[in-house]
Amino acid sequence: MSSAQIEIQLIASLVAVACAIPGTFLVLRKMAMISDAISHSILPGIVIGFFITQDLNSPLLILLAALTGILTVVLVEYIQKTGLVKEDTAIGLVFPALFSIGVIMIAKNANDVHLDVDAVLLGELAFAPFDRLIVSGVDVGPKSLWIIGSILIITIGLLFSFFKELKVSTFDAGLAASLGFSPVVIHYGLMTVSSVTTVGAFDAVGAILVVALMIAPAATAYLLTNELKRMLIYAICFGVFSAISGYWVAHWLDASIAGSITTMLGLIFLIVYLFAPRKGIIAVLYREKQQRTEVSLLTFLLHLKNHTEERERHVNHLNEHINWQKVRSKTVLDLALKNNMIQLDKNIVSLTEKGEDFTSQAIDYIITNEDTQIEDMKDDFFLFRG
Amino acid sequence: MKKQLITLLAITLFFSCKNEKQSNGKLNVVTTTTMITDLVKNIGGEHINLQGLMGSGVDPHLYKASEGDVTKLANADIIFYNGLHLEGKLVEVFEKMKNKKTIAISDALDKSTLIGSEYFASNYDPHIWFDINYWKQATQFVVKTLSEAIPEQKTNFEANGTKYIEQLNTLKNKVETTINTLPKEQRILVTAHDAFNYFGKAFNFKVVGLQGLSTATEAGVQDVQKLSAFIIENKVKAIFVESSVPKRTIEALQASVKSKGHEVTIGGTLYSDALGDAGTIEGTYIGMFEYNVNTIVGALK
Repeated sequence: MSSAQIEIQLIASLVAVACAIPGTFLVLRKMAMISDAISHSILPGIVIGFFITQDLNSPLLILLAALTGILTVVLVEYIQKTGLVKEDTAIGLVFPALFSIGVIMIAKNANDVHLDVDAVLLGELAFAPFDRLIVSGVDVGPKSLWIIGSILIITIGLLFSFFKELKVSTFDAGLAASLGFSPVVIHYGLMTVSSVTTVGAFDAVGAILVVALMIAPAATAYLLTNELKRMLIYAICFGVFSAISGYWVAHWLDASIAGSITTMLGLIFLIVYLFAPRKGIIAVLYREKQQRTEVSLLTFLLHLKNHTEERERHVNHLNEHINWQKVRSKTVLDLALKNNMIQLDKNIVSLTEKGEDFTSQAIDYIITNEDTQIEDMKDDFFLFRG
Repeated sequence: MKKQLITLLAITLFFSCKNEKQSNGKLNVVTTTTMITDLVKNIGGEHINLQGLMGSGVDPHLYKASEGDVTKLANADIIFYNGLHLEGKLVEVFEKMKNKKTIAISDALDKSTLIGSEYFASNYDPHIWFDINYWKQATQFVVKTLSEAIPEQKTNFEANGTKYIEQLNTLKNKVETTINTLPKEQRILVTAHDAFNYFGKAFNFKVVGLQGLSTATEAGVQDVQKLSAFIIENKVKAIFVESSVPKRTIEALQASVKSKGHEVTIGGTLYSDALGDAGTIEGTYIGMFEYNVNTIVGALK
């Protein structure tokens, strides 16, 4: 592995961390698409910068781009605060407007210059190691590594200093206000950080990868935990893992690096979506099945309690009377037996003491219908745990 | 968390100890477009390790790098590229590379003879390979650069260079004979984008492109209307598709001419920003040029 390859992985990993931190908050605040919006709305900033400097490589262009990014956020916030439209609608209103202003400015004044977001800002990760930063004749590493590193340090510094404030204002803006710090200030602070990170990362690695790295790791982490600190850590881990594994997939296939990293992010989300212990599809399906069996068991026990005559309590009768299929009745019967709720005597079913007890409580629950009670009951008796 | 990151970094560094740089004693040369790859191959021959970044049919403005290209660039001793913004952002990357020898082929040419942008003085038309005289200058430039890099092979490179310029002269004569069979007033070349300006200048063609210089911009409805009026007025017989530009826009132009009750055929596919597949005749600069001229003259006659 050459030094260029290490540097690419290092830059990709730093971008992943720098994006995961604001990304987590954006996902929690349902503003994930703001990074995508910024990728378009910075165009007028770039165009104005070009008109002032007449130079496509001037840093002023990137500065103005970041400012337009903040303007996007402010406008989105303003429209959203009117209460007439939701966050996503506000985002969708603002960025096409800003983008088209940029397009019209180009069409009117600079039609034969190769001027678009692509030419000025959008970096290519593959070439990042070749753009070196030279300080007094000494090569100190790729330029984008320094840019993204500085952004990351500022982001981490802000995160540690304002973690409590960010946490409270994200989950409960009212409480934040009553505790004495303005949720609006925190919000704009966060959005400014997101905007600067987005623009800086665009320059280093390109647009799609930044949008993907902001949203996918945070969304994946959200499937695994509800705790903010854990979510941040998971998001960072997923981001860095995708960055490095994606790089090697690109190496193996000789394909685009950004494309491979984005694909890895998608794959990881898919895997977590399927197999997450609590919110994953498979876990949810399994839990639903368990709940169905629990309900069936309850119905069965209530039936037994209501009927003292032997005919009603014969095993074969269950199939006809409650209209269950054979497999299901067997599952329910086995479960009840295993939990010592019933006893079998020549195919005649009757409740045990524990069964009686449980069923009475269940009836109580159904009559009073308080949520907490059934949880206690589950703990007392149940079911699948042993 | 931090520990994990450090471990990860340590592992990365550990694996990085092996170096894959190929070193059979030859110079590693990397080129961008297929035209330049072909040129350098003719001069360097088996004395250099030559690797081209772009394949046939790749539009240099819109080229996307793959992971393998990083290694190619990182191991390169000399990089030849076209310059004049042909390779888009890549040109900027090359200009900024300080620890490698990057050579813009267009530096060999006298800038004052190039076709410039109407509005911005420092922007030139980058499609220099369509003037055979420029390509001869480029050949001499490559010979000089390679000879400086490997002085012991100087005689070989110079011999190859002379031989190649000889071939280019033959090509020029052949092409001129073919074009002379076409009357002057029929020399109108309508293509998808403005790649053929130097060709037009060298052989007295009037060149009209639908899209402008950069393939990234799209042709507007007005452009199509204006151009179709021009085609009807000048009785142009055929218009041309390019290998690296989607043919949708040219088909739209043909439909627009038809709707006004006139006929124009699509004369064939021209190679503009990239050569044909490697191994075919159109996969070389000379083969490409002959093919283009035969296609153009054949369709316009």
